[in-house]
Amino acid sequence: MTARRYIGRAVPRPDAPDKAAGRALYIHDLARPGMLYGKVKFSEHAHARILRIDTSAAERVRGVRAVLTAWNTPELRFGFLRDNLALKRDKVRQFRDEVAAVAAVDPDAAAEAVERIRVEYEPLPGVFSPEEALREGAPLVHETDPQGRPRRDNRVPLRFHHESGDLAAAERASRYVVAGTFSTPRIQQSCMGTAGCIAEFDRRGHLTMWAKTQIPFLAQRDFARALADIGLGDRDVRVVVPTLGGGFGSGLDTHAYEYLAILLAWKTGRPVKIVYTREEEFACLSPRQCAVTRIAQGCDAEGRLTFRRVEVLQDNGAYTSWGATYPSVMMVPVTSLYKVPAVYFDAQLAYTNNTYCQAMRGYGNPEVNWAIESNLDDLARAAGIDPLELRLRNCNEPGEVTPMGLKVGTCGLRECLERTAARLGWRERRAARDGTAGAEPAKRRGIGLASLCHVGGSGRIYRSDASGVVLRLDDFGFVHVLYGGVEMGQGLHSVLTLAVAEALGVRPEKVVIGPTDTANCPWDVGTHASRGAFMACTTVLRAADALRRRIFDLARTVFPAEAEEALRRHRKRNPDDRPPEFDVAAAAARTGAFDLRDGVLFLRDAPPEPWLRLDLARFLRAVHFREGGEMLSAEAFVDPPTQLPDFERGFGNLSAAYAYGTQGAEVEVDLETGEVRVLRLVAVHDVGAVLNAQTLAGQMYGALAQGLGYALYEEVLSEGGRILNPDFRDYKLPTAHEMGMPIELEFVEPNEPAGPFGAKGVGEPGLVPTAPAIANAICDAVGVRLHDLPLRPERVLEALRKRGG
Amino acid sequence: MTAFSYHRPTTLPEAWRLLAAHPGAVLLAGGTDLLVRIRAREIRPPAVVSLRRIPVLAGATVERGGGLRIGAATPVADLLRHPAVVRRYPLLAQALRVMASPQIRNVATLGGNLCNASPCADTAPPLLAYEARVVLERARGRRELPLETFFLGPGETARRPGEILTAVRLPAPPPGARVLFHKQRRVHLDLALASVAVLLQFRGSTCRRARIAAGSVGPTPLRLREVERLIEGRVVTPELAAQAGALAARSVSPIDDLRATAAWRRTIVEVRLRRAILELAGLSPEGGAS
Ligand SMILES: Cc1cc2nc3c(=O)[nH]c(=O)nc-3n(C[C@H](O)[C@H](O)[C@H](O)COP(=O)(O)OP(=O)(O)OC[C@H]3O[C@@H](n4cnc5c(N)ncnc54)[C@H](O)[C@@H]3O)c2cc1C
Repeated sequence: MTARRYIGRAVPRPDAPDKAAGRALYIHDLARPGMLYGKVKFSEHAHARILRIDTSAAERVRGVRAVLTAWNTPELRFGFLRDNLALKRDKVRQFRDEVAAVAAVDPDAAAEAVERIRVEYEPLPGVFSPEEALREGAPLVHETDPQGRPRRDNRVPLRFHHESGDLAAAERASRYVVAGTFSTPRIQQSCMGTAGCIAEFDRRGHLTMWAKTQIPFLAQRDFARALADIGLGDRDVRVVVPTLGGGFGSGLDTHAYEYLAILLAWKTGRPVKIVYTREEEFACLSPRQCAVTRIAQGCDAEGRLTFRRVEVLQDNGAYTSWGATYPSVMMVPVTSLYKVPAVYFDAQLAYTNNTYCQAMRGYGNPEVNWAIESNLDDLARAAGIDPLELRLRNCNEPGEVTPMGLKVGTCGLRECLERTAARLGWRERRAARDGTAGAEPAKRRGIGLASLCHVGGSGRIYRSDASGVVLRLDDFGFVHVLYGGVEMGQGLHSVLTLAVAEALGVRPEKVVIGPTDTANCPWDVGTHASRGAFMACTTVLRAADALRRRIFDLARTVFPAEAEEALRRHRKRNPDDRPPEFDVAAAAARTGAFDLRDGVLFLRDAPPEPWLRLDLARFLRAVHFREGGEMLSAEAFVDPPTQLPDFERGFGNLSAAYAYGTQGAEVEVDLETGEVRVLRLVAVHDVGAVLNAQTLAGQMYGALAQGLGYALYEEVLSEGGRILNPDFRDYKLPTAHEMGMPIELEFVEPNEPAGPFGAKGVGEPGLVPTAPAIANAICDAVGVRLHDLPLRPERVLEALRKRGG
Repeated sequence: MTAFSYHRPTTLPEAWRLLAAHPGAVLLAGGTDLLVRIRAREIRPPAVVSLRRIPVLAGATVERGGGLRIGAATPVADLLRHPAVVRRYPLLAQALRVMASPQIRNVATLGGNLCNASPCADTAPPLLAYEARVVLERARGRRELPLETFFLGPGETARRPGEILTAVRLPAPPPGARVLFHKQRRVHLDLALASVAVLLQFRGSTCRRARIAAGSVGPTPLRLREVERLIEGRVVTPELAAQAGALAARSVSPIDDLRATAAWRRTIVEVRLRRAILELAGLSPEGGAS
């Protein structure tokens, strides 16, 4: 392979100028002629029977065009287990349940109408924690399943389980065993762009949805099903994805508001837009699940891990989304982070009357990583082994097959650990036990680290794990790219651009990424599981290869004539020049004669004469405008060699590659106030190979900010099912100020053979180990182990007082 | 947002006329509290009268006798550019600098902060420490009260219907005073979970005068007179500072809410006040303006 021209460099993103100038069009900016504004009436109870809905006053509000309830619309069922309804008929099961929807000529009229809807309820006792929900005789959130069969308890009927090795024997043989219970809160994806959509039917009943989604094709399928329920089963659904102001997993499901927009558009015959306000986004869109993880790990006298036992209990909320499958990803670190010969894993999800939850970046991994990596430090302490040493002794190795059956290709974990430790000055600093003095007497400093592994080569969670790309060349040498994955701010289009430029041999300026639209793009399972760049590059490599072959094939006949013509022109302009003799036809006839680089087609063995270098655009026109002319394009559709695991047994090679990384933190703890200041962050990640150094750094900085927020600040607070902090006033994200500490990034590049250009997916890993790295540093500083995120100063202070400090 | 009529008078009498003509009308200065509430449909005023175009309400002037008169509708950012505020009232400047964000500071006004009467209003503790007075005017009549008596409870002030807060008056600052404002926050952009404003005047190591106030730890911003009395006239020692902190923690009446627990807020008042006193007395490198 020749040296890379674009992949691996630091290149600005193609979407950056428009975004920076405020020109990018988000769902909030879009409008359609005659468009109405939809608004949702949400429940006023966490759990109640609906007795009566009076919409008469709402209907009288000027400008109102439709008021829908379950009584005047077809029933639309949706959700991962199809346990949710677009409009609730018999009862509400959470505060955000949709009981009515309004469409009006302007947002104020819609809001006014919603306020005038009167609903009579009969309140029911609710369950607000998984423990409560699973208690004998607890009120049932769902009395029946979607098929109408009675349900006996609040268990979500999904089983995730894994057992490997001889656990009992391993426990007995352990010299040291440490157990603990760790919890993580609900947090919000906090997209800068709130959720929204526009639904529009044409006169034939075909539906176009402008949707803020990460899964245009699975959404298309969901919406098609809804059309069937309305009685429009044979109509086309087209999903168009506008510029996304962040996704972070919130776009991995279809949402009630989308079905309501469809119903309102169908009812009124007009396009209908629903966009959530920030408060609605907080209160009525699904956050990341909270989790309680009970863990025990053991090791022998030498610090070799003997077993790991992990039981997770999750509050699913009232309905299921794809987020109910977090445990499928939890299995990856539980079975496969460090070498553990015996593993027990079980996850239980409970329906409650809390807000239902959905996917978020990391998808279960940060929840269990918090437990594993915190507990591992405790085990190291109990065994009297340095935490870094313990991790190195049990480090994953390239080529290993893990208890879950993950086939590890390359693995840079050892290097990640070593590099992080070196940057923290680990061996020197940890020699001085129990932290060091801070700048002031009441403050102490410490360092800590934590690692992760995650899917890095797509991840099969559906019947297909595929993506496809179309590359279409025009008369001007531009490459038009149609890709079904979603750019949501992560830099997908930048990676696509570089991959096309590199793999096809054109300049990046000549690559144009088309809109994400199910009408034009090949099918794609979705932009999740850190698969965007991995799959985009994989498909591009294949399509570009096909295009190059076709170009070189055509060049045998087209190139010699073009070169002759070029030589004639050259001679005319430079009459004194004596170009070297070169038999173009003979050279062109040889196999492998041609190459294409930076948009120039040339013969590999030819002398560097300008008339022997053919501009791609000129070549494409020659191919187009001749007898039997041809336009060049290529499509590639790739379903990667990943396995859909048997989740009940916890076995299967989920991904084609695995990503690793280690993060380190230095913190200062105020002994009197409990405040934690992160003085430094180090993140060393095995990324396979760097694709675009700039977007990669962006992904990591962004993920670290989310990791820091998860560790210290973020929590969706609720009481009796009501969300108490539905705004940025009281839901705290780290600001630029909190991210002002020095951050050191380093990338380990083992060149993954399964990865395009050697790369692995890295969209999620950056936020996974941040919290335990910080908590381990706190423990180093002040000797207390914290079990519950976020690490609010009150909690730290309480732990310090309990210890008697 | 609900609809309202919007009025932009250019004189105070015009503003009073508009208030009288539109029952239920509310005043708008920067709008950073008001518009949030209207948008959330917490209040639905039929009319909004803007104070933004009334020249006498903007700007700060040094008064005879060395005090400072600040027009109620002066934006925070303007105050931070005003030499008299920055040099002579550093305790106020410290609080203004950590209030909200640059964008909000460009429009939020001092009068709005006080009239909104939130226990966490950042300008209140330093103004209490400077013993500021507020000027209330209506079509017929003008009165002036100490800021301390202006606050009645959360969102409640002594302002009567038809009255406009026209100015805040600060007496000449105590010469040589050392000051420190600490705002306890979750992240940089946040409302105060607890705050302390400390002004100490020393002769040698003896504290001649102490003015201490706290925010977010009671129904109104609080002046902590008992603590002031404890320190005044005494040599500041670590023990005295600790006693002052402990007394302050006992004198405040915080509540548990989303942002913090009452117990932790007391701890913060205790620790931050003790550290502030020590730092101002030059006894320890601890604390520091946030
Ligand atoms: C994002 C954000 C962050 C914030 N952060 C902080 C913070 O860190 N610290 C803090 O203290 N506050 C903060 N605030 C609150 C707010 O910005 C301040 O209280 C500000 O000073 C209010 O001033 P204003 O001019 O915008 O008031 P307005 O919203 O215009 O008015 C507030 C209230 O006072 C009344 N009023 C205003 N002026 C007068 C007058 N002259 N006479 C009689 N009544 C009057 C109005 O009728 C209204 O009821 C924040 C607000 C936002 C939106």
